[in-house]
Amino acid sequence: MIEVSDVHKSFRSGDRWVEVLRGVSCEIPRGRFAFIVGPSGSGKSTLLYLMGSLDQPTTGRISVEGRDLTAMTETERNAYRRDRVGFIFQSFNLIKNLSALQNVLVPFLPTGVTEAQRRAAADLLRSVGLGDRLDHRPWQMSGGEQQRVAIARALIKDPLLVLADEPTGELDRKTGDEVYRILRQLQAERQTTLVVVTHDRRFIRPDDLVLEIEDGLLKSTEGSEAEDDLSEAEVR
Amino acid sequence: MGKFAWLNLMTRPLRTFLALVGLSVPILGVLGLFSVSDGLRNLVGSTLDKIKGVMVLRENVPTPVFSELPSSLGEKLRAIPGVRAVAPEIWGLPPTIGNVSLVTKSLDFLKKNPEQRIQSFLDATVIQGQDIAAHKPLKSAVYPSALKEGRYLSVEDENSNNIVISRKIAKEHSNAQGEPKKVGDQLKIGSEAYTIIGIYETGSFLLDPVIVMDINTARKVVNKSADRVSSFYVEADDSSKIEEVAKRIEETITDPNARLDARSMSEFAANFSTVMSQLDLFLLMTVSLALLVGVVGIINTMLMSTTERFVEFGVLRTNGWSRGNVLSLVTIESAYLGLMSGVVGCVMAFALTQIGNQFIGGGLSLQFSPRLIGLGLALSVVMGTLGGLYPAWKASRLVPMDAIRLGSH
Repeated sequence: MIEVSDVHKSFRSGDRWVEVLRGVSCEIPRGRFAFIVGPSGSGKSTLLYLMGSLDQPTTGRISVEGRDLTAMTETERNAYRRDRVGFIFQSFNLIKNLSALQNVLVPFLPTGVTEAQRRAAADLLRSVGLGDRLDHRPWQMSGGEQQRVAIARALIKDPLLVLADEPTGELDRKTGDEVYRILRQLQAERQTTLVVVTHDRRFIRPDDLVLEIEDGLLKSTEGSEAEDDLSEAEVR
Repeated sequence: MGKFAWLNLMTRPLRTFLALVGLSVPILGVLGLFSVSDGLRNLVGSTLDKIKGVMVLRENVPTPVFSELPSSLGEKLRAIPGVRAVAPEIWGLPPTIGNVSLVTKSLDFLKKNPEQRIQSFLDATVIQGQDIAAHKPLKSAVYPSALKEGRYLSVEDENSNNIVISRKIAKEHSNAQGEPKKVGDQLKIGSEAYTIIGIYETGSFLLDPVIVMDINTARKVVNKSADRVSSFYVEADDSSKIEEVAKRIEETITDPNARLDARSMSEFAANFSTVMSQLDLFLLMTVSLALLVGVVGIINTMLMSTTERFVEFGVLRTNGWSRGNVLSLVTIESAYLGLMSGVVGCVMAFALTQIGNQFIGGGLSLQFSPRLIGLGLALSVVMGTLGGLYPAWKASRLVPMDAIRLGSH
């Protein structure tokens, strides 16, 4: 479903260019719960954001459901992010002056929110246990509650793919467990592909796909049927 | 999106308030100046409406005070077809009134408070000498119809020291007890005493500073010889054809030694309108500097706001918002800021014009019309929108990934 082919990504840092990804190739089948793991600065978040078309690879190709993200126009990328991908961030990144319900509806604000979308957003918030928090602002909620709002925001569009960057990084252990419970439950119900960047391996289950990145290269892939067949060329 | 933009402004009330003050003050300035300008236009328009005739005076002089024509011209004017009445007039500045000279009055101006200064500016008293017999048949004479007390000049007042003054002049030259001059009192002009026989009030500061007397008496006051006049007031048989009569006068009387100008009131109005348009332009140039400062304030506010919200814009972009959507959001916010500034500026301008009108007399009334409200609101929205464009553009150019990373570092 997600095909990453020889992706390189460089950033300018002062006078020099830093190559964060140095030719990553991998595949994530549809409906899998996948993890990208690796040390800080290894390029795992960059890879995640490129899958969400938040930026373009310097070279290489990423395709989702057969559509090449690198060949999309700006408008197509906007539509892709609006309709096909949900993002969950470590810092929740909710809009401070919007209520929980309005935060969930953020993708639809430019085009106007329909009553059906409003009902769906409220249902989603109820399903993550926030039925009594619809009108609360982010500062009135705990970290765990805010992250649940972010999960609802990622799922409101019924996406093909949910990308989560350290979703429990700012939560205590118990709340982190709760967030993963919700993510797994929703993924199972909706058959959504979930890709999570994490440092914390305790949330990984044996049947999950695990991509380990180090120094901008894919070091190993676990849980993939093709795991044993990965050639040297693919694990660079 | 409009509601979201509004919430964004309301989330930062202090900053929004300061930016609002920054733009509303220049807007107040614009509206205040234009309300004065509109007030002057209205006053002059209503004053000129009262005068239906043509004023014949020497070419290229700004006012009849500086004009001089031969008295004999009156007969030539009367002979022109369409002319119904010709009334010779002497205009001039009095040497002193009640022992107060123009110079003393000018120095006195500096001692007064702002309201009194405005009043003093409108107080340059002028002598008008009328050929009483010739003025009698006029249909559109302003002063007789504005008489409030006493009587107007009649033929028995010829060569006498009888005068008609305005209520304003009567108040200016009040007695020791502070009581204004009344009919029967004396007013000293130069070295001679004149008897007040009537008091008029037109309500216009352009007409009220005039002391009316017999033409021969006026000649002595302003030192003009018997064969000279300042101007002729001419009425047409048909008042609707006054413009034609004015044209005919200029075409008929072509004495190279006495080139004259037959000015109808519409011509005065047109000249005044030109002057006022130039004044408006000057005012606009002056206040544009203040507006520029207001716009810079908006730019600063919006730049600070957008810089703080990079992560928010990143989140919006990750949720499918296009660059155009982000640009629109920030621009709408700054347009709202402009609109609010406009509303505040209009309210303040309205209040200040109402207060100002309590202090300004002479028929001048500061105007605060719907046109000015429209101007204020339109100007403020345009300024607000312009001020928000650069910050909006900057916010929209952010790469979503960079914006999100800013939040996680």
